[in-house]
Amino acid sequence: MTADARRPRPEPAGAGTRNAGMTGLNPPPAGIAASTSRRMRSIRLLLVGCGVLLLAWGAVVMFDSVRPTRIPGVALWIAAAIVLHDAILAPIVFALGIALRRAGRRLTGTVIAIVQGGIIVGSIVSLIAVPTIVAKNFAPANPTVLPLNYALNLGLFWLVLAALTAALSVGAFFRARRPDAAIPDDTAR
Amino acid sequence: MRRLLYEAQRALASPVRNPRMATVVGRLLGAAFLICFGTGLYSHFLQEPLDWMRFATRPEFLYQITQGTHIIAGIACFPLLLAKLYIVFPNLFAYPPVRGFLHLLERASIALFVGASLVQITIGLLNTYQWYPWPFPFRQVHFALGWVLIGLLVIHIGVKLPVIARHWNKPAEDDEHDDHLVDAVPAERAEHAEAVRLWGPTRPGGVTGRVLDYIDRAPRPASRVSRRGFLTTVGVATTAVVALTAGQTFTPLNAVNLFGPRKKGVGQQGVPVNRTSEQAGVADAATAADWTLTFAVAGTERAFTRAELLTLPQTTVTLPIACVEGWSQMARWRGVRLRDLADLLNADPETSFRLISLEERGSFSQTQMGREYVRDPLTLVALELNGETLDLEHGYPARMIAPGRPGVLQTKWLSRIEAIES
Repeated sequence: MTADARRPRPEPAGAGTRNAGMTGLNPPPAGIAASTSRRMRSIRLLLVGCGVLLLAWGAVVMFDSVRPTRIPGVALWIAAAIVLHDAILAPIVFALGIALRRAGRRLTGTVIAIVQGGIIVGSIVSLIAVPTIVAKNFAPANPTVLPLNYALNLGLFWLVLAALTAALSVGAFFRARRPDAAIPDDTAR
Repeated sequence: MRRLLYEAQRALASPVRNPRMATVVGRLLGAAFLICFGTGLYSHFLQEPLDWMRFATRPEFLYQITQGTHIIAGIACFPLLLAKLYIVFPNLFAYPPVRGFLHLLERASIALFVGASLVQITIGLLNTYQWYPWPFPFRQVHFALGWVLIGLLVIHIGVKLPVIARHWNKPAEDDEHDDHLVDAVPAERAEHAEAVRLWGPTRPGGVTGRVLDYIDRAPRPASRVSRRGFLTTVGVATTAVVALTAGQTFTPLNAVNLFGPRKKGVGQQGVPVNRTSEQAGVADAATAADWTLTFAVAGTERAFTRAELLTLPQTTVTLPIACVEGWSQMARWRGVRLRDLADLLNADPETSFRLISLEERGSFSQTQMGREYVRDPLTLVALELNGETLDLEHGYPARMIAPGRPGVLQTKWLSRIEAIES
């Protein structure tokens, strides 16, 4: 935190210029100034202008149709959604990713990717399915709303998913261990 | 602060988090948003038409298609939006956090875009379960947020247009390198140069340093594998959430409808119910012996008992009930053509009708029906459903059924039909 950004430092060979590094992490202002050509610039201006109009119309509709006392609730939900994603969900996903990569350090990337994919697919389906289980507990408006046994279905889904993921992983694991299959592209011609 | 933000970006760097991937997933998500917006507007104007508006009555399952698509695309947004946010997440830690007024506006618009998108798809999903755990009215907020989101989408496309244009096409094979999301500079070079620039070749110490070392020691997967794996995962997840819920409207998927909030064929007379007679408070009035359906046309009124309606020529039609919540159910209806009744009363063929239910409260107790539906030969005052007398929950003694209209406008427990004379 005490680093001096201006002090020149020796660069490793092949590291490119300092400017490349700058651009790498700090793109130029993504605003209008970064336009590359006049045509691009005018299209972007047009898009941003139209977007602002649509956004403003959305605000008009919101304030016109929703009682002012209810609007803070909308703002609260939007803010909560950002916090929920950025501060809770994303870090959890990141930590799980690291944990999985470390746990599977002896495995090939393909196997890790398959297991990761299985977990993600299961989580996203659960995201859709768990609210049905919760909402069903609140006695739905009538018996034709949420009529299925969603908890059972979700359990079955996870079982099938786990079986498929395991089968694919085992397949990928053995394929990677077969010595002749490892480098088909290089030996093909 | 700068060091932390930088280290966060570096730790989060992944072959998946690059501008090409953001463009690929962003295109799909943008398409889903546009589909939701278009079908949503259609549904909105069907329910609240402007005076000059006329609607297509064919195909008769049109609304089943548009609204089914609305819900399917909305559900597909869950994996797509999460994937998009996953790709661009390192941008949250950009340094400096704000580079100027325009940049501040851009970041604010992105924050609103992210938050409003998450809220929009969440309340949309929960609405299909008729579950409302939020402190605001659903319909109005969902509609207003639709405009807000489409505005933010257009702004976002405008702001990111150069990046989108650069990465629209797949890069040539030898051109492929591990780009950072933030720009098209090889990640390792950029990382190294920036690290050296910021604090020399040594790493930070203390707990932060140990955490970062721990992260660094986790093996990094090959770029190609993780990119393909990521895209495959997004594809499978999207297919799964769609396939396992769409059976509530799309019959071929009925067998794998594991998580849809409705099930085809589940309900009185094989048709799901949205609003019950108890909720509407109409049970007594609907079963009263003196029930009549009153027509008010051109200054005269005429009341029909159910028995009288049954003596008029009966027509059988096969029409779906298609709900705003995305489910639909095909059914056989039998009753009197509304057009025949209108002709019997010498109504002007150019007039629209107002349909009034026995229900006294509720936003759809009175609705309007444009002349294109009034004159359609498939529009019935229905008295029977699937071969039986209409169930009380389906609108006994008489309900409206018309092609291509949302379920909330298929007025149940009819009490009065008025011509709207202009």
